[in-house]
Order: sequence, then C-alpha cells, then structure tokens
Amino acid sequence: MNFLTVFTQPQLLMLVGLGTFAGVYVGAIPGLSVTMAVSILISFTFSWDVYPAISLMIGIYMGGVYGGSRTAILLNIPGAPSAIATALDGYPMAKRGEAGTAIGVTTVMSFIGGFIGIGVLAVAAPVVSDFALKFQPRDYMLLAILGILLVGSLSQGSLLKGIFAGALGIAIGAVGRDPLTFTERFTFDFRLLEGGISFIAVMIGMFGVSEALLQLHHVDKDAVRQKINRIVPSLSTVKKHLPLSLQTSTIGVIIGALPGTGGDIAALMAYDHAKRVTKDPEREFGDGAMEGLIAPETANNSAVGGAFIPMMTLGIPGDAVTAIMIGALFIHGLNPGPMLMIDQPDMFWFIVGALVMANIFMVIFGLTGIKLFTKIVEMPRSVLIPLIMLLSIVGAYAVNNSITDVYWMLGFGVFGYFMRHYGYPLGPVILGVILSRLLDDNWRRAIISEREDLGRFFEGIFTSPLSLVLFIAVILIFVSQTPLWTRGKRMLLGRKSESTSK
Amino acid sequence: MKRFVFGALSALALTSTAALAEYPEKEIQGIIQWGAGGSTDTVMRSVTPHAEAALGGTVVMQNMTGGVGAIALNHVVGEDADGYTLLMGAENPMLYKIMGLGDKDYNDFTPISILARGTPMLVANPDAPYNTYAELMDYIKANPGEVRFGATGPGGLPSVVTAMINTIEGDLDVISVPYDGDGPALTALQGGAIDVMPAVLGAAIEGVRAGKMKPLAVFDVERNEKLPDAPVVTEFNAAFETYLPWGPFFGVFVKNGTPDDVIAKLQAAYAEGAKHPDFVELMDNRGFTMMGISGAEADAFLSKWQQGTAWLLQDAGLAKNSPEEFGIARP
Repeated sequence: MNFLTVFTQPQLLMLVGLGTFAGVYVGAIPGLSVTMAVSILISFTFSWDVYPAISLMIGIYMGGVYGGSRTAILLNIPGAPSAIATALDGYPMAKRGEAGTAIGVTTVMSFIGGFIGIGVLAVAAPVVSDFALKFQPRDYMLLAILGILLVGSLSQGSLLKGIFAGALGIAIGAVGRDPLTFTERFTFDFRLLEGGISFIAVMIGMFGVSEALLQLHHVDKDAVRQKINRIVPSLSTVKKHLPLSLQTSTIGVIIGALPGTGGDIAALMAYDHAKRVTKDPEREFGDGAMEGLIAPETANNSAVGGAFIPMMTLGIPGDAVTAIMIGALFIHGLNPGPMLMIDQPDMFWFIVGALVMANIFMVIFGLTGIKLFTKIVEMPRSVLIPLIMLLSIVGAYAVNNSITDVYWMLGFGVFGYFMRHYGYPLGPVILGVILSRLLDDNWRRAIISEREDLGRFFEGIFTSPLSLVLFIAVILIFVSQTPLWTRGKRMLLGRKSESTSK
Repeated sequence: MKRFVFGALSALALTSTAALAEYPEKEIQGIIQWGAGGSTDTVMRSVTPHAEAALGGTVVMQNMTGGVGAIALNHVVGEDADGYTLLMGAENPMLYKIMGLGDKDYNDFTPISILARGTPMLVANPDAPYNTYAELMDYIKANPGEVRFGATGPGGLPSVVTAMINTIEGDLDVISVPYDGDGPALTALQGGAIDVMPAVLGAAIEGVRAGKMKPLAVFDVERNEKLPDAPVVTEFNAAFETYLPWGPFFGVFVKNGTPDDVIAKLQAAYAEGAKHPDFVELMDNRGFTMMGISGAEADAFLSKWQQGTAWLLQDAGLAKNSPEEFGIARP
C-alpha cells in the first residue's frame, strides 16, 4: 500500500523529481558529493514531515550517483569516485564524437542497474543483509586484494607501470593519522599532513588538471564534432548486453550491501568483470568499448538499492549516504534498527516506492538536454581548458572548504600530467587510494583477532566457506595474469585455440 | 581613492561595533567534530534549529572530521573569538593532551551548553556462552586470550570502560580489535567478528530490543529506564561506584575571549533549544541523559570529567603522557 504513496501524492512526486534533477547536477560537479548534499538537506528539511524529507533525499541520491558519469564522459573528470571506471571508456567515446551515444547508454544502463538494485531490496533484503553480515575482517581484506588485482585490467599497456601507480595510490591513502591507533604515518611532522590527503582532491587533480594540461598540446586543433543522431540505444543493443548488465548489477548490489564498501569499488570491480568475460568487444577496452561503460554504470546504480538493504533491515548503513539517512530518520523521530521493518513496515515500502520513482525521473532527466551537454565537448579548447581548470578548483575547494586541498589537487594534477606523458596509467592510483584503508584496517583487524598468529589466520580462511571462495578467487585471478598461466594454457589447448582463432 | 579607503574603514568600524550590539548579524558557522550521520552529528543537527529560532540567526553546520576531532578543534581555535564559529563536539578533546593528540582541549573554550550525557553498556553477540557481566568475567578467566573486545582507539569509550574493568577486576587477558567507531564495531559484533563491545546505550538499544545483541551490564549506578531488565555493573561489583556515573557527552563551545554578551546570547539560545519537546524526545529515545548546563557548572563538570578519566587511563597504563604534566590533578 505504502509503496504507492509516492505515486499518488503530487507533492511527494514533485519532491522526488526535484531531488533527482538536483542530484544529476550535483553529482556531475566533481567535489560536490551526494553525501554533502544529503547532509545539508537534513538541516533544510528539519521541520518537514518525514516522507517529504526522505523523498527529496532519495531523489538526490539516485540522481547524484548517475550524475557522476556526465563529466566523466564529457571532460574525463569523474564527478564522483563511483564514476572513475566510466571515464575509462566513456571519454574515449566522446573523443570520437560519440558523447551522445555514451550518455544515452549510460542513462539506460543506470536505469536497468537501478531497478535491479531496488528489486533485490524489495524481494530479498533480509537474505542479503544476513549474507553481508557474514563478512569478517579477513573477508574484507581478501576483497581488497581482489580489488588491488584490478590494477592488471586498469593499466593500459605496461603492467609494471600499473603496479607502480597502484602502489603510489596505496601510499597516498596511508598518509595521516592511522585511524585505528591515531599514530601519525608519513606526516614528517607537518601539521598539514596530519589529516591525510583528501582523496577527492587527488582524483580531481589526476583526472581534471592533467587533462587540461594535456589538451594544451593540441590547443590549435579543432574540437571533435559530436554526432547526436542516435542517443537512446536500440533495443537490440540493450538485449545484447543484458547478460553482462545482470552480472554487473549483481556485483553492484552485493558490494553496495556490504557495510564497508560502496559504489566506487562496485563500479571498478564490475569494469574488471566485464573486461574478463567479454570475449570479443567491438572495440578494445580503454578505447571506447560499450561494455566498459555498461559495467560500472549498472553496478554503481544497483549499489544504491544494495546500500539500503542493511539500512532498512538492521539499521546499519551500507555507505556514507545511507549513514546520513539513518541520522535523518532519528531526527524525524523514527528509530532505525532491526525493529524498523517490524514496527514500521510502511516506511520500508515507502522508500522502495520513492527509489522506483527516482529511477524513472533519472532516465527522463538523463535523456533530455544531451544535445546541450555535448556542446561542451565541441567548445574551442581556449574555452574548454579554462573551464576544466575552474571546475577542478571549485570542486577541490568544495570538498572540505579548504584551500590546502586545492594545492594538493594542483600538485597531483601536474604530477598526473607527467605520469600520463610517460605512459603511466592513472586508474590504479585512484584504485590504490580507495582500497588503501580497506586493506590496511582489515588486515590488522584480522590478524589482531587471531592473536597475531598466521597459522590461526590461515586456519580461519580454510574453515570458512566464504573466505575460502574469496581466497581461491584471489589465487586464480593472480595466476591467470602470470606468463606461466598463458604458457600452460597454450600447452594444454594450444592447437585448438590457435585453430579456432585463425 | 584615499577617501574611499577611509570611508570603507569607518563603515567597517561602524559595522563591527554594530555587530557587538546586535549579535548575530551574519551567519554563524557550526563546526561538527564528527562525520555526518554519527551521534554528535545527529544531536547537533536536531538541537541547533531550535536554538536558531531562539537566537534569531542562522547557524550553518559543517562536518569537519579527522584526528579524533582534533582537526575541527584546531580549526575553531584558529578563527576569531567573535562568536561566529561554534565548536560542536563530544568528550574526546579532554583526553587529547594525555593521549598525545594535541595541545589544545576544551580548556581553551567556553562552554555554551553541555547538552547531554550518554551511558555506556557492555553488549555481546547473542550466541556468546555468557549472559551476564559476572559470567563474562568467569569465562575470560577460564579462557584467557579468547574473547574479542571491540575498541575504537585510545581515549574512546571502549578504552575507558575496559580500563575501568582492568583496574577493578585485575588485568583481563582479552583481544582488543580496533574499529572506526561504535557503529562499525556493533556491526562486526552482529556478524561475529567480535564477541563483546562496550558501547554507548543509545547506539546499542535498537539491537538489544531486536535480540541481535544481548546486554551484559549497564555501566551506571542505577538501572536505565530504557532497558529496565538489564542489570547495572554495580550489582555485580560495588567497586565500580568509585568511577560511575561516567559517560561520553555532547557540547557546544566557543573560543575563550568571546565577548560576554555574545556568550550569554548563545547560552540562552541553546538552553532554550535543548528544552524543545522534539529534542527531549529524541534524546530520550536514544537513552541519553539531558544535562543542559553552562557557565561555572559546565566548567566544574568538564574538569571533574577530565581528572577522573585521565587518571583512570594513566593508572591503566593507556595514557601516552602523564596527566601531571598538564596540571590535571588526581581526583
């Protein structure tokens, strides 16, 4: 019954729409995050009733997760960490004059992913949250290692350079007071380094500023003309990629439902999965492959539904945004926790309804105004480059209202420029920063829990089915990237595979 | 040009005297020491709109996290003492000095309001083979080095509660697993990654009501009306009365040197805001004890809290620097 509340009350409908619209644009601007927008909304909607307040927040959340892809595709600056993987193939498409197609595919795929996430939330929330709770520190650690192995698929070209970039990212992530013991690490007694290096500043600098600097090389070249005849992908395209989008959405829901991980890791893992399972893409990954766009976008939007799963069933936030929404529910006099679904089932169905509505609005706002947006890429470089710089500076400042972050952003921008110039991939740096804490904290928790005994640690891995599966996945993925594996594979199936490929 | 500068300066002088007369004449910044969605954040975001109404001004709240809240505290210390930057924090700064986290604490600030106090409690995974505090103590003695306690870093509530238990019961042989906060630790408790967690009652109450965790003891001298069936720790061991009641607290502060009339206005506004029925109900639901104190009463509360806790940690060997170095007297 309450599922329909949002559809039947024009006021709520309008608020979801307004939220989604605002979310798309907040999400598109790097540095302005959905987390920030939702926490501002708490004060803003303080005196409202709980339904309108939640409607607006859900709209912003759904729209914002999608909006991050906009600037990733058009300018190579991910609007949010969850859009990093989108930039890898989305931007090359824009450079070929296919920005319209890229945005169209992204929108439709985000919509599909969003629905799968909401579907799982509506149907299987208790089952998924029980599963998510089973993850022990060692499992989070194995998941982080699995993530680190993505360096292989994110480094276009030299693996060695990719490993260097990934290690650099992990080191950047370790700067500052260690969150478990508050000991200073890599701070060299600079007060400035005590709080760590803002990861968003690193991301904006590495992608945005380095892009602006790189474009200076071609400042006299004409901008790419954008083809905008085909924006909405055809049914056959959607159908063709349906199996992949189902798989990547599943990844999104699960990673989203885990209390320690969110859409950013989900999108990167989905990208890696797509690269692994796509046998012969129409275009190479990193060169504008459709699959490289579909995977992260379905995953990060299905992670939204996923993040609500532990929130609604247990009162445990699935990510930063749901953490704030739990706070909002408290302020509005509800008691989010394991009893919420029992005491107030109507709240659950209302949220599912609002998510469905936000997802529909997202596709509407996403598919309109594309023509206008693609014009951005067609702007002359003398306008585009300053625009990228401006956006980067405003974005970096907005994260913490800190000018220091702007300096970091500019510094990493120049560094990123030289990295790109010498063929070092940037994806692994960001990957390293994202995973640094997940890996570090959980390794320490895991080994402390076993009284710092490696024997007991491995015993734990081999006696838990979940840990064992993750451990085997790590080993398999690792081995499959070594030359030994390729040689062994050739020796075993050598003739057969060669004959089929010829 | 000269005349313009002069004019601008005199205008500035005029407005700044006017500011003293009619505070607040611009937006006030509220710096929240902890992240969005946490306890401190929820408390501050729910009391401030009521205080704003009483004050007739706007308070723009911003979360500034990092360094156990020290980043936010140092930020506010660096701003002017004009009442336009408020620090919204929890108890942690009172332990910065002895924990080596900084050289500033609430002694550099004037309390506007100590809003409320929390009550700690010990909760366990429902499958744990002990049901009360006494059974837990016996179990730990019978199985040394097996029970995993959740922790939130030096100076956090779990470390203080664990220090109390160690001081009274003798050193416990348990494993202490660090988490980012009580939220993630209580999640880990439900998943079985840790066995026991000292947490603030408000954070654990919904889990206890749903049977996802079981209460072993409430760390107070009287039973809590929110959980009347949960025994208090003094029922098991009267020695805890020396340290209890103890608990984390939330407060709003301004830097020392802020004009007295501004302080008086802010104190009146937050005292009014804290009385609002919506806020009282929210705090009650989360099991917090309302305090709403300011002035000399708040100063006395802060220094007593600091003495007791600092020396407790020092005696348990957890402090990095002795409280003596900072002139914190033994209670």
